Amino acid sequence: MLKIIIPTAMLMPMTWLSKPSMIWINSTTYSFLISLVSLSYLNQLGDNSLNLSLLFFSDSLSAPLLVLTTWLLPLMLMASQSHLSKETLARKKLYITMLIILQLLLIMTFTATELIMFYILFEATLIPTLIIITRWGNQTERLNAGLYFLFYTLVGSLPLLVALLYIQNTTGTLNFLIIQYWAKPISATWSNIFLWLACMMAFMVKMPLYGLHLWLPKAHVEAPIAGSMVLAAVLLKLGGYGMMRITILLNPTTNQMAYPFMMLSLWGMIMTSSICLRQTDLKSLIAYSSVSHMALVIVAVLIQTPWSYMGATALMIAHGLTSSVLFCLANSNYERIHSRTMILARGLQTILPLMAAWWLLASLANLALPPTINLIAELFVVVASFSWSNMTITLMGTNIIITALYTLYMLITTQRGKYTHHIKNINPSFTRENALMTLHLLPLFLLSLNPKIVLGPIY
Amino acid sequence: MKPPILTIIMLTVISGTMIVMTTSHWLMVWIGFEMNLLAIIPILMKKYNPRAMEAATKYFLTQATASMLLMMGIIINLLHSGQWTVSKDLNPMASIMMTTALAVKLGLAPFHFWVPEVTQGISLSSGLILLTWQKIAPLSILYQISPTINPNLLLAMAIMSVMIGGWGGLNQTQLRKIMAYSSIAHMGWMTAIMMYSPTMMILNLTIYIIMTLTTFMLLMYNSTTTTLSLSQTWNKTPLITSLILLLMMSLGGLPPLSGFIPKWMIIQELTKNEMIMMPTLLAMTALLNLYFYMRLTYTTALTMFPSNNCMKMKWRFKCTKKMIFLPPLIVMSTMLLPLTPMLSVLD
Repeated sequence: MLKIIIPTAMLMPMTWLSKPSMIWINSTTYSFLISLVSLSYLNQLGDNSLNLSLLFFSDSLSAPLLVLTTWLLPLMLMASQSHLSKETLARKKLYITMLIILQLLLIMTFTATELIMFYILFEATLIPTLIIITRWGNQTERLNAGLYFLFYTLVGSLPLLVALLYIQNTTGTLNFLIIQYWAKPISATWSNIFLWLACMMAFMVKMPLYGLHLWLPKAHVEAPIAGSMVLAAVLLKLGGYGMMRITILLNPTTNQMAYPFMMLSLWGMIMTSSICLRQTDLKSLIAYSSVSHMALVIVAVLIQTPWSYMGATALMIAHGLTSSVLFCLANSNYERIHSRTMILARGLQTILPLMAAWWLLASLANLALPPTINLIAELFVVVASFSWSNMTITLMGTNIIITALYTLYMLITTQRGKYTHHIKNINPSFTRENALMTLHLLPLFLLSLNPKIVLGPIY
Repeated sequence: MKPPILTIIMLTVISGTMIVMTTSHWLMVWIGFEMNLLAIIPILMKKYNPRAMEAATKYFLTQATASMLLMMGIIINLLHSGQWTVSKDLNPMASIMMTTALAVKLGLAPFHFWVPEVTQGISLSSGLILLTWQKIAPLSILYQISPTINPNLLLAMAIMSVMIGGWGGLNQTQLRKIMAYSSIAHMGWMTAIMMYSPTMMILNLTIYIIMTLTTFMLLMYNSTTTTLSLSQTWNKTPLITSLILLLMMSLGGLPPLSGFIPKWMIIQELTKNEMIMMPTLLAMTALLNLYFYMRLTYTTALTMFPSNNCMKMKWRFKCTKKMIFLPPLIVMSTMLLPLTPMLSVLD
């Protein structure tokens, strides 16, 4: 694992010591190299995880997330080049350093063995994200957004710390590799119910669950593009990953405790998708669609069947890439017209046809078109929840329809129809932007050829 | 103040605390506290303005009352045990009196009312000594009598202190008052763990002193005492803005900075002793502290506070104050978390 951690840490001195003309090139190139190295972790053994050291391990659940994280850093750097072009050199280097620190912490989080180390790094990812949102966001609402983000997550995760220490005292260890074999069933007494709540609420806030999702539209909308990308693609998946790890310790109380959260997720899925139909702000639409997809992951993790776990893992990867590319597309709009309002930039297909092709592909991925892994994931989750309870298929089916509705609404509003007069003189698409979209969409569509990489440990 | 006089006074302060920490005779404890008190009054009054004299008077009155309460506890202990040795088996009545007296000295709730007002009235360097050095002596006595302290009293004071430290600091813009409420809250954390593991109290005290020392030094470097003047730091020394950011987050107890170590260790010790709701309550109210530290971070480092146009080109003299030991202190205030396994040497 050090072969990824030390080069990522070394990206920081490299950024500070590079020549001004080379900072973007150096950091992007070397982070691509690091992601190439991380691909080797996808070669998982069939029956067990790769135990790399006492502190780090990687199994079929964390390896795809690790690859997603390392793949995303060069893409974030490519996406940020334009809005940082007017800043001074020191501030550019500081921004890149924040992204690198966040990357380092995320890599260590996804591969941690000890649950306390996972907790510390989980909390530690808040600080660079807060700095990115608050220092480099564009509107005054970013101050509130940063505070909501920080405090929602902290209030959820402080009970998790107490619960983890309690579990360490009763079970003797918090090393994930040992605990998966030592976990005793816990009955549904009141104190165990509170233990369950303490363990899960942190991840529910992070996912986010429908009732606790208030921080997400604020944070996603106010963050600069790299902040939005990393928030949507990776930080939400920390919640899903944590939930999948910690539910091992919480059986069979989960069967009873899951009901309120299942209801909130199922209803929240439809609510947030419906809100997307009425959004004027493009980034806000994509943010609410993230809540909707993550609600599917919550439903999948709480059902705890093999198919639903496979679906949850695949959905996390698929949604990571999809929402990241949607944010990049929204950002390419924002950089040209400096507004996030959708109807201000209509009919872009006439003016930027290649970008319209990326919009189409990204929208098709978002609405879970076969044979993308988005479809495989959603299908697995829908089938698993149907077997859990027949009634959920009505809600899931409605959600799929409404997802298709708002995605097509977004596509048609921005791309089709007559263009508005004032966008005739926008810049044409840069090669950097086209490369960015390709690098997002190519892995997404190639994964449909071999989805077993992202189907997780149950496959 | 003239250097020889300052030397004598500081030596008296230091030797007062040393006497309290190292003696085994209760009368010497009281003498040490009084030496400390009398010698620190001129330090608190370094500036000759009425506000400083008012602060020094308040400090003197509260601390003298506390010393008298302590003396009462000592005499009761003498009555019941017949000897003056500082030992662990105290009479319960004497223990309660001494705990209350030391709580007044430390500024624990509900005896915390003097801390913000005294800290506000004195200069930054005196405030530094008040909030760091002056805590050592009472905590060392509490450490020695910790097995006999009434747990209910201590826990009630601890929880109240954390809550008052959190809620009290929310409405402040004066930095010295913010540091005072921060001190009240940290004292609450320290007393919460005192019954179960006094070693963790020493750990918390050490890290708290390091962080507060660093914060005060950075504030002295800028000569700022209000949030408004702290927000101009980007103009004077931009490096300090990022240091204030890290330091405030460390004071708030965010991982992966050093300020998280005492909170983590204290919650661990408390859960080992079957207390679950209390560390959760303490941790949640510590988030209030984090809110006003975040507010300071926002005005200093993350946004550019409103200023008029001439501020942007302001020149200032370079700071000539002696910032002894500041870089190592900054490193210790923020990067000590990976060293937590070294705590096992304490067993």
